[in-house]
Amino acid sequence: MTADDLVIVLTAGLLATACALLGTFLVLRGRALLPDAVSHAVLPGIVGVYLVTGGRNTIAMLLGATLFGVVCVLAFQALRRSGIVASDAAIALVFPALFSLGVLGVSRYTSGVHLDLDSTIYGELTFAPLRTLDLGGTQVPRSLLITGAAAVVVLAVVVLFWRPLVLTSFDPEFAEATGVRVRLVERGLLVLVAAVAVTAFESIGAILVVTFFVVPAATAQLVARRLDSMLGIAVAVGWVSALLGQRAAVRLDSSVAGSIGLAAVGLFALALVFAPRRGLWRRWRGGRRRGTPARRPGPTAGSATRGG
Amino acid sequence: MNWLITSLPLPYPEAVVAVGAAAIGLVAGALGPLAVLRGRSMFGDAMSHGTLPGVVLGFVVAGTKHLPLMLLGAGLTAALAALAVIGLERCAGSRPDVAIGVVLSAAFTTGIVLLTALASSGNAGQSGLADYLFGQPAGMVERDVLLTAVVGACALLAVTACFRVLRTAAFDPGFAAVAGVPRWAVEAASTVLLAVAIVLGVRTVGAVLMVALLVAPAVAARQLTTRLGGLVTLSALVGGTSGAAGAVLAGRAELPAGPVIVLLATSVAVLAVLFAPRRGVLARVRRPVAAAESRSSAPGEAGAPPREASGAR
Repeated sequence: MTADDLVIVLTAGLLATACALLGTFLVLRGRALLPDAVSHAVLPGIVGVYLVTGGRNTIAMLLGATLFGVVCVLAFQALRRSGIVASDAAIALVFPALFSLGVLGVSRYTSGVHLDLDSTIYGELTFAPLRTLDLGGTQVPRSLLITGAAAVVVLAVVVLFWRPLVLTSFDPEFAEATGVRVRLVERGLLVLVAAVAVTAFESIGAILVVTFFVVPAATAQLVARRLDSMLGIAVAVGWVSALLGQRAAVRLDSSVAGSIGLAAVGLFALALVFAPRRGLWRRWRGGRRRGTPARRPGPTAGSATRGG
Repeated sequence: MNWLITSLPLPYPEAVVAVGAAAIGLVAGALGPLAVLRGRSMFGDAMSHGTLPGVVLGFVVAGTKHLPLMLLGAGLTAALAALAVIGLERCAGSRPDVAIGVVLSAAFTTGIVLLTALASSGNAGQSGLADYLFGQPAGMVERDVLLTAVVGACALLAVTACFRVLRTAAFDPGFAAVAGVPRWAVEAASTVLLAVAIVLGVRTVGAVLMVALLVAPAVAARQLTTRLGGLVTLSALVGGTSGAAGAVLAGRAELPAGPVIVLLATSVAVLAVLFAPRRGVLARVRRPVAAAESRSSAPGEAGAPPREASGAR
């Protein structure tokens, strides 16, 4: 493994850490498709910032795109609350349209200049080692700094706001009764998801963002019994798939982000079959031994109430 | 088919594309309510992303860009994606959003890895496969249009023939089950029909955006009518018009067709959501009380989908 490979694995692993930590809470709250929505919605924001500033200033782009993502999701929530359009139809209506707007902007104005359609689909993880920043005399890959910062911020938020996050994820009504401001927590989580989704967008493209958020968390949900172990397993799945995926991408000469996502899906499939309690294999055997068909799981982490 | 193409006041290649895209929009618009009214819009998203590996596998099997084989592959993997979502929900107890997220990821990463591995293998014939991501109708010839029209007509015929059963199953699954309509059969039939619509559209609109062509016309039509028959017809019209207009516009402006078609269809839906006579946002703001009452008391057959359909299954 060369130094460049190491940078790619580290970048992907740090990104997966941030995504998996947030993804776990999103999965528990019934918001698993939120990152998908945000990652599609920010493309017009990125194109807009690009057209206005004429360059890829990282901070401006991050702020502009995050703002765009947050505004879009708030608008989408308002539309859903109005009760005119069903929640899933609202997602399926709004985000392809915004993504279309972004795609048109990219293919019309910016094609070939630092921003093209390929990077919105495949991401730019492969080029992560090439773009460096001068930091106290040493050249540090820019994406490593950004994803590292994202991982640290997310970890800090999860540790600092552990109690409100957990309470609102499992029992919003109890949380409300004990004085936790549920709406505020929801909004804060949303903003953080938007910021991380934008960071992820740059590395892995629009469509694989949902993979990084949901698949490790869903894998952990099959295996873990407690929230802290679910978070740990999700992060571990992220790192293992980053390593496996990068190796596979070198071997197959394929997209790095795609291969990492595929590795995560492979781990999910393994967990689906062989998980200690919820795995299909165990259920099938257990069901036969008891002479009854396998039952649906009881109220475990997998069936927390679906927030309105 | 020929008379229709030659009777349009457009140059021949544009007329072919316009008729083809109109047929696709029509079929997707007519079948979209199957997903939207059952609370399964994002299910359609997993299926549309699911076409990508099938397209690439069809290409690998055929060795060239053999359209029928690629579309067959797309249909198979889209149906497989639908099956996987249902399987995760039923057997593993996953919630719909998680199941959709995982299946979408599985399908799309497989497709991307296959696509990029092929691209770097130096196989010259593969260039242009990436068009299936965002759609490119420019290469459409009359035979493709005919294929679309025939398959689409079969799907529409099936919907017409089973209209009553599908209507009952969509709005009152409990009654449908009591009346002896097996749930799996309805599920299978609507999944196959959706797969047909998605496969027909994927070449023109692209795998990433196809779901919008299913959902947007249905949402627009839902705002304007309360009868299912009218809804399906109106939805088909919106889809067909957006398809034709979008494909021609995109061709003239040299833009990818998928986004243009999707934006047109979505604009119609947004306008309908804002300005529809009775259900629109504007109408509600002007008389909120009356609107709220009519919403809660109107048992119109095309009302909001039953709670059960959108919750855990």
